Amino acid sequence: MSGILWIELIVGIISSFSLLGLLLWAVKGGQFDDSKKQMNGLLFDSTEDLQDAIKKDKKIKELKAKKQKNNLD
Amino acid sequence: MSNNIECTHCNLSFPKEVMIEEENDLYFCCKGCQGVYHLLKDDGLDSFYDKKGNEKLSAPLAVDEDASNFDLDSFRQVYIKTTPDGFSSIDLVIEGIHCSACIWLNEKILNDEEGILEANINFSNHKAKIVWDEDTIKLSHIIERIRAIGYNAYPYKTGVKNDANISKKRDYFSKLSVAIFASMNIMMIDVGKYTGYLTSMSDDYKFMISIAELIFATPVLFYSGLVFFKGAYFGLKNKIINMDFLVSFGAVLTYIYSLYVLYSGHGHSYFDSVAMIITFVLVGKYLEVIGKKNANDTIDTIKSSIPYEATRIIENEKEIVSVDQIQIGDLIEVKNGQKACVDGKLVSSYASFDQSSISGESIDVVKHKGDIIYSSTINTSDVIVYEATTTYANSTFNSIIELLENSLNTKPKIQDITNELSKNFSLMILMLSLATFIGWYIYNGDFENALIVAISVIVIACPCALALATPIASLIGISWMSQKGLLLKDAKLIEMFNEIDTIVLDKTGTITNAKLEVVNVSNKDLTKEQLNILYTLADSSTHLVSMAVKNYLIKNYDNLEFVILENITQIAGVGIDAKYNNHTIYGGKSQDISSKYTSFEFKIDNKTIVKFDLQDTIKDDAQELVKFFNEQNVDVIICSGDNEEVVKDVANTLNIQNYKANMKPQDKYDFIVKLKEEGKKVAMVGDGVNDTLALSKADISISMASGSDISINVSDVIILNNSLKSLINSFYISKRTYKFIKQNLFISLIYNLITIPIAMAGYVVPLFAALSMSLSSLLVVGNSFRIKKDIK
Repeated sequence: MSGILWIELIVGIISSFSLLGLLLWAVKGGQFDDSKKQMNGLLFDSTEDLQDAIKKDKKIKELKAKKQKNNLD
Repeated sequence: MSNNIECTHCNLSFPKEVMIEEENDLYFCCKGCQGVYHLLKDDGLDSFYDKKGNEKLSAPLAVDEDASNFDLDSFRQVYIKTTPDGFSSIDLVIEGIHCSACIWLNEKILNDEEGILEANINFSNHKAKIVWDEDTIKLSHIIERIRAIGYNAYPYKTGVKNDANISKKRDYFSKLSVAIFASMNIMMIDVGKYTGYLTSMSDDYKFMISIAELIFATPVLFYSGLVFFKGAYFGLKNKIINMDFLVSFGAVLTYIYSLYVLYSGHGHSYFDSVAMIITFVLVGKYLEVIGKKNANDTIDTIKSSIPYEATRIIENEKEIVSVDQIQIGDLIEVKNGQKACVDGKLVSSYASFDQSSISGESIDVVKHKGDIIYSSTINTSDVIVYEATTTYANSTFNSIIELLENSLNTKPKIQDITNELSKNFSLMILMLSLATFIGWYIYNGDFENALIVAISVIVIACPCALALATPIASLIGISWMSQKGLLLKDAKLIEMFNEIDTIVLDKTGTITNAKLEVVNVSNKDLTKEQLNILYTLADSSTHLVSMAVKNYLIKNYDNLEFVILENITQIAGVGIDAKYNNHTIYGGKSQDISSKYTSFEFKIDNKTIVKFDLQDTIKDDAQELVKFFNEQNVDVIICSGDNEEVVKDVANTLNIQNYKANMKPQDKYDFIVKLKEEGKKVAMVGDGVNDTLALSKADISISMASGSDISINVSDVIILNNSLKSLINSFYISKRTYKFIKQNLFISLIYNLITIPIAMAGYVVPLFAALSMSLSSLLVVGNSFRIKKDIK
């Protein structure tokens, strides 16, 4: 019984600290600099905004690749 | 009002007749709104209106300025940074943002552009960071896109301070997140522990729970609590036992003791207290960091309104240079709608300027050759040339920003005393805690009990409330003042305002408007047509006299209409000529110079139709000002360079017994010195160069923002909106703030007087000591927020 509780405790602590780590990573990246915007995002963001975010990521990758190629040339 | 209809774009209501109507029940209040609406629809961005809901916007900003300046090298060097990937990055302040939909729209339109990697706008301060590839898109095009949808963007320089503030906020946010996360988990265990549900548990399970608490409390102490260790270290380095020392000392002692309990298996561990102590005090610190960051954001927004480049004329050649390169004596060209970047003297014969950024006055000020031009004011006339009399660093507007920065970074004198008090207080608490430990140990020989009681004493007596008492009240007082149009150079003045018993007022510009008003009219029986011609003529000029006449007409006649005047010519310093249906129209200076008034003559075909006499008027709130100071038992004295008759007249009107006329700058200075020698505490209010000497000698010097830059520089308080009501407010707010500072100090001292003996007697566990300490800080903060309650 005690062994199971120990395992539960360890798993619980590892998973909760991992989530906390994710939050700290997001904070460090500047995601929480604007708390009001985060809240508005939760309330209003639609699938269209998600698609935009994907498109934006793709665009950034392309631009970075292009830049690197130019630098190499 | 019932006939009003809302604009489809901005939601502002106007009568249906003035709206631009389109099919499908579309109504627009102006061409700008109509243009933006169609642009958004064509680009498939009309979901903006769903997101916006009923939020009202201001009409789109029409910006005629050429965006190509953003591509100049001089601009690049100052504002554009290069990212590690080789892309360009700029920080902008976006003007015209009202709601989250505005942010969405700006980000969306920018992110849809090819070549833009990042367009991120902060909701709270409207600052934007844009990263783009210069090979794909030009910055000028990005700015044009923002302008096309009715917003505008200004660059601002992000200093090291700004980056430091952002990373500090993130650091504190992370530390606080860890602290709250761990404390909440510990709290869950505590609920069971303190309500007695865990008492029947075997030692194995209790050990397991203590281990869990240890795992949660450790990052709180060593990661979140790092700020307190640093503070304590710097304090000790300077031989000061400070608040941070008490917090870290209390937490570390509790932690070590709990480790000992865990190892020995005897006694009760207090990891919960470790986490709580750090978390509660950290919340206060985090709020402080947020406050400072917001203050700096405000300063950045103000800074963004300064132009970043200027057109310099050297040997008839024009060149665009960065404002930092402007030297005294340089000739600078300012086009219509542009801002002056440094102070200077007008070289062109005539100009008019919008000085609202300095004085808050929206009426244009007419300037003649040799008149002073202030930095950040907008040229509302044709292209003008002026000679720089200051560099950018010494310009009026930059001085105002520096004053603002200083006033945010200085502490009132009472704060110095409090800091001293809290230093000694901390040492005293440490001694009391040690005495408690020894006392309890001798009394019952129980080490655990003695240590826990001693820790409770340290935690409960932590002088957070004492340390917060003054700064929080000053901060609220100063921010309230800035909302009321007052700039305080130094927070120490809050205290000084309470000691003032004499106020010396300059006359012109301080208690009078330094603005003309019609007092006599030679002919009131003008025909409708004559009135309309005069109204149109007066409207065509921004000269003070024309505007006074126009205002008089609007006030006294209904249904005035504009007529079509041809060949309108402004004759600088004289008046305006025009043609109307082959008649010659003239409005301007009267030939009769014997009158003691300034006059305006209106002639048709050289025949005088009407003559207006105009005079400087006493400010509306001057009477209220005198009444307020009489109630406060403060002596009011007028001190003016004008002649006896005029000053006496004003003094009598305002029921002021003491007045001094014909005072030259040195006389004013001597007068203030004399008052001070008599033991009076003197506040001086002035606006001109002639008041500067006297202002520099007064206990508190107050200056109108419309005044000269020198008088602003020597002043402690600047009244940005030139209103006497603000002067009353400055006294009222200071007195009220000071009252609350005293109340706060009283609350925190009483709190300690009551709680320390209770803690010493062993009635408080460290967890509740931490809670109670936070409550005292909350009490002080809550009390300070009452300062603004009785706003006038």
